[in-house]
Amino acid sequence: MSRILTIAHAEWRLWLRSRLAFGALLITALLLTSTSVVTALRMSEAHHARIHQQAVAEATFLSQPDRHPHRMVHYGHYVFRVPPPLSVIDPGVDSVTGQSMFLEGHRQNTAMFADARASAELGGFEDLTTALAYQLFLPLLLIAIGHGLIIREREETTLVPLLAQGVTGTELYAGKGIALVGLSLALLLPLAVMCAVAVGRGAAPLASAGVIGLYALYLLVWCSLILLVSSVARSRSLALGILALVWLGTALIIPRIGVESASSLIPVPGKIETDLNMQAELRAVGDGHNASAPEFRQLQADLLAQYDVTRVEDLPVNFRGVVARAAEADLTEVMNRHAEERMALEAGQARFAASFGWLSPVLAVAAGSRALSGTDLATHHRFLREAEVVRFDFVQGLNRVHVEQLAYGDDINRNIDAEASKRTRMSAENWNVLDEFTFRPAAATERLARASTPAAMLFAWLLMLAAIGALAARRVQP
Amino acid sequence: MPVLNAKALTVERSGQQVLKDVSFSMQQGQVHALLGGNGAGKSTTLLTFLGFLTPVSGSAHVQGRAVSENVSAARQAIAYLPEAATLYGHLNAYENLRYFLSLAKTDTDRRALDAALDRVALQAEAREMRMQTYSKGMRQKVAIAMAILRETPILLLDEPTAGLDPAAIDDFNRLVRDLAEAGRTVLLVTHDVYGACHVADRIHLLHKGELVGSFDRPSGMDRIDTEAVHAAFAAHAA
Ligand SMILES: Nc1ncnc2c1ncn2[C@@H]1O[C@H](COP(=O)(O)OP(=O)(O)O)[C@@H](O)[C@H]1O
Ligand SMILES: [Mg+2]
Repeated sequence: MSRILTIAHAEWRLWLRSRLAFGALLITALLLTSTSVVTALRMSEAHHARIHQQAVAEATFLSQPDRHPHRMVHYGHYVFRVPPPLSVIDPGVDSVTGQSMFLEGHRQNTAMFADARASAELGGFEDLTTALAYQLFLPLLLIAIGHGLIIREREETTLVPLLAQGVTGTELYAGKGIALVGLSLALLLPLAVMCAVAVGRGAAPLASAGVIGLYALYLLVWCSLILLVSSVARSRSLALGILALVWLGTALIIPRIGVESASSLIPVPGKIETDLNMQAELRAVGDGHNASAPEFRQLQADLLAQYDVTRVEDLPVNFRGVVARAAEADLTEVMNRHAEERMALEAGQARFAASFGWLSPVLAVAAGSRALSGTDLATHHRFLREAEVVRFDFVQGLNRVHVEQLAYGDDINRNIDAEASKRTRMSAENWNVLDEFTFRPAAATERLARASTPAAMLFAWLLMLAAIGALAARRVQP
Repeated sequence: MPVLNAKALTVERSGQQVLKDVSFSMQQGQVHALLGGNGAGKSTTLLTFLGFLTPVSGSAHVQGRAVSENVSAARQAIAYLPEAATLYGHLNAYENLRYFLSLAKTDTDRRALDAALDRVALQAEAREMRMQTYSKGMRQKVAIAMAILRETPILLLDEPTAGLDPAAIDDFNRLVRDLAEAGRTVLLVTHDVYGACHVADRIHLLHKGELVGSFDRPSGMDRIDTEAVHAAFAAHAA
């Protein structure tokens, strides 16, 4: 054991004395610190901004004057997806999916971008997140520093004297491995600090620990790959070339292939196309604004029979409201079905692309990181579903006011009789049908479960590389 | 029991036979020199004793045990000075010595290091300097110091005097005799006929992987007959 640590220690001393390694370390430390600070600032600003926007939207809705309830249905409301605390590490899909949504009657809108000005201000630099720095740049640093770990000793003919002291190939391999792993662990420190900060802001400790564990596993995969290549390559430049190619393949090419093949094998129709497909079904439901439309005859007959009256004017409820409520329910059923189909396709596409993580640890760690941070596609879908619940509830809440509090006679005469029109204005107190909306990502255990497949991918990589490494170590020869 | 024993060693490198049926043995406290031209197989012989090369036939024995049976025991018993001694340029002499000696599990304090560096006459002011600033001879001195600090019963030295100035070569030859008198067994590789004749009890002449002659120091004489060795060497070189 002591020999292994002696070798590891000697390697660290070399790095500290080598200007190249030291410079690379310094640059990486700066990069990590600056991207962490920038990502943290951006996401915490987005966090505060969206909480504020949410409060403003709710206050605006509640402060609307007395009105016809259906005008409130069309006045609508906004909900915002507040980024979870761990998004300071990995904003995930936050920047490509919308983070806010306009909710109104009879429609499911697309999510929109809540903060359009942010990217202009930062000049595109916001794309470099802590997660990306760890996923893409840290492997490059480890390659730059570690590609010569073993081949250097052979090239500089210090391998013979090393082995002549009785050091075995396995000891040498392990010592060099510990040196590189030690460096990786030290480089995880900024991430750990960010996680601690996130926990302070309410992130689940379990999920935060999961993030650190996942990235540790990821860096271990790179360490074992670098070590292996460094022990089998015939020259330093060859080792560097092989590792650079692997980086290109796993960081750029395989993810690209994954995305391309996922979208060509599992095409997801665009929102406009989906809406067009849905039109016929929506028309069959009927226009809820037109209570005399043929689609609602059956409803009218049933209602008259139920209350044992012959004219809608004699019903104890506002028939126009009943129609609005029924139409909303039927429309929503159709829209939800299509939305679920669409989300299922999107999720399938994402799953397919993620399965390329078996080929690329970069893809695996990216998927796991998003899942643990609560910024993956599944979380966005959750937002869409929760927003829809809010939409449906407030629309139907307003429709209930329409049904129960607004006289049918006033309602139909509101355009010809000023007094009747005045009576159709319901008190603003009724606007409190709106629930407060606070978006939260899934529970930590659920996120851990979602990250378990990516973690298994990384673990498989690690096991494979370690097993080959153990064989290669025994064959380290001058 | 011979301390080092080559029994009909035949070694191949890259498919070529580079040692053919080489046999010799050494008793404790002896100094032998392997003499031969470039590519004769001298370094190969040392590497075979260290277990870095495995003979296709025959066997190498260290302290009575076949190297192939226990490589690490052989390496523990041997201090090896590689050809073109390479140490770490970013470390100074002390750091290099401490690193390699700790890997060999040999405890050494600063005083022992200085004593060894004194014996090879490395300037005191150079010892704290990184070895990338050293001349070839200075590096060689540190490597020799390391070999003696290992305090192993056996030393295998591959061209130890390469790069040394004449005074340092004299110092080195005296050092080797001292080590032998202290009971250590030294096998050294050289193509310096004169030096070999002065320091060795026996010279093995290697040519194209074969032992083509050996010369003993006659009892009562302080060196081997240089003329005879020269003549044999030249005859094979021709
Ligand atoms: N690493 C190697 N791989 C293959 N052949 C080698 C290697 N090193 C030396 N040889 C060959 O082995 C033979 C003996 O080399 P060596 O023992 O180094 O000679 P020397 O007597 O000069 O020390 C030479 O023919 C040389 O070309
Ligand atoms: Mg040689």
